[in-house]
Amino acid sequence: MAEKKDFKRIDKYTWELPQDFRDDMRVPARLFGDADLFGAAFRDRSVEQLINTATLPGVVKCAMAMPDFHQGYGFPIGGVAAMRMEDGVISPGGVGYDINCGVRLLGTYLEQEEVASHLQDLTMALYQSCPSGVGGKGRERVSGRELDELVTRGAKWALKRGLARQEDVAHTEEGGCLPGADPGQVSARAKERGRPQVGSLGAGNHFLEIDVVAEVYDTNVADGFGLFEDQIAVQIHCGSRGFGHQVCDDYVKGLQSAVHKYNIVLPDRELVCAPLDSPEGRAYYGAMACAVNYAFVNRQVLAMGVREAFERVLAGKVQEFDLFQVYDVCHNIAKFEEHEVDGRRMRLCVHRKGATRAFGPGRSEVPADYRGVGQPVLVPGSMGTESYVLVGTQKAMDLTFGSTCHGAGRVMSRTKARKTVYGAELRKELAREGIVVRAGSDRGLAEEAPTAYKDVSRVVEVVHGLGIARKVARLRPLGVIKG
Amino acid sequence: MDRCFEEVEHTADVAIRVWGGDLAELFANAAYGMACQLADPDDVPLTVERSVELEAYDVETLLVAWLGELLYLGERDECVFAVFDVLKIVPTRLRAVAQGGAVREYRGHIKAVTFNELEIRHTEAGYETTIVFDV
Repeated sequence: MAEKKDFKRIDKYTWELPQDFRDDMRVPARLFGDADLFGAAFRDRSVEQLINTATLPGVVKCAMAMPDFHQGYGFPIGGVAAMRMEDGVISPGGVGYDINCGVRLLGTYLEQEEVASHLQDLTMALYQSCPSGVGGKGRERVSGRELDELVTRGAKWALKRGLARQEDVAHTEEGGCLPGADPGQVSARAKERGRPQVGSLGAGNHFLEIDVVAEVYDTNVADGFGLFEDQIAVQIHCGSRGFGHQVCDDYVKGLQSAVHKYNIVLPDRELVCAPLDSPEGRAYYGAMACAVNYAFVNRQVLAMGVREAFERVLAGKVQEFDLFQVYDVCHNIAKFEEHEVDGRRMRLCVHRKGATRAFGPGRSEVPADYRGVGQPVLVPGSMGTESYVLVGTQKAMDLTFGSTCHGAGRVMSRTKARKTVYGAELRKELAREGIVVRAGSDRGLAEEAPTAYKDVSRVVEVVHGLGIARKVARLRPLGVIKG
Repeated sequence: MDRCFEEVEHTADVAIRVWGGDLAELFANAAYGMACQLADPDDVPLTVERSVELEAYDVETLLVAWLGELLYLGERDECVFAVFDVLKIVPTRLRAVAQGGAVREYRGHIKAVTFNELEIRHTEAGYETTIVFDV
């Protein structure tokens, strides 16, 4: 077991465990955080999981954990690892079950005062327009053939179906379509689970939120993203639903034998993987890309539900009730990207599990109208707490394969949260702060209580201080719909 | 066996430790432990019965496949299973019957059954394992 003393402090926010700490490590392991966040790493198994990640074949530079890290399964949550194409692996455990769980931010032209009296109605309308909860069926029903096209073309499919606008697609990571999706590699069961759920929020930590822009830190960048103080905005946080869960499940089971076939020794079976250059590795990538595209469409369809709800409540009452898309980011994904490692340009498979891409200015992957400043990074707080809009930086390109944090990060188990927090009390407390909440159950509400999470502001201060993203704006919740 | 399962602390997800005198009991207890995360098993009406037959690479994969199958059937048929009869089991094959029904209130949702450090251990009293669920 690694202890604090085994780590070397590189700078104020960087802690490194050398490669020789454990025989099977191929690269060092790095944790990002202030002294307290670093200390918290030793309260659960996140450090061990990070070390395990550093043992994977083809991993380059170092295995990293963003400051919102915590124990997951396989990789720690907040884990980032990049593998060489020639001899590296791709691991479903490095992406997770909720493939392309992510966040979409919609902006409005409204100020808080204009919607204050409609907040209850708006929250209710969103609850009705955006299905949520266990087993929630989605807004759209698709046939088997349509689903194949949906997962192959992602947001472009939505555009064709009249469920997206051109500018929504342009303001989505990967343009809403990860190339290389192959529905032939997706099981019939994943497709069966995916068909009825297009446009649904799901349960767990997923949410839909009406926010107000409480503070702007960088007026120039905020202006470029269409954000201003006192503005009403909406966040959608969800992923690929049963489709993605099944894809991961199928491949974690299916690749167990591939590990033996390719003589890969793993410290944890959840890290199951296959060489990138193998039929099994290519099959997983093709299926994972389908789930990524499913999630882009899922959030897109929900965004149309949000527009519909705003129109229903606000038409005739305010002048401008339309919502535009600021950006949509993935939090759980593996992607092929070019990065510089030890002075050499390399094509890598970057795994981000509970981490956000944070590309800096100039990268071709950043939408043209944001390319001068960098990519928007969306960091949701825990339910009822603040969220942040950041911007990607060159420093992130240099340090973290263009990656940064994805949220607050849990500190308390759900069991403990239920024992210490009462859902009904929490609902009242949030109401006292002026936050309207619609949730499936008080139990679910208690599990997602703000006290069960790290302080998102602290996490954001670390990434800002380290320079792997910069603060642009802070959002405060007004109305929350929890799955 | 007095205890069939207990919840184990996990920062982000849900974990249970499960015991069984033999593999059949371990698998049935694991399914019951999972059901307790989804709903109150006493509130589950036994109106639906499903037969399950599975083959897997090894015994751990079989356990993940078994619990995953129950999650899938539960999602498809909009119900929770609470009573399990493992009729026949060897480390790579299983035949079982699950009974359950629609519930009024869910306790929580499980996205998937993970392989995280999964190992079925033989003990003096039978078998023991710890399962992490992605929730």
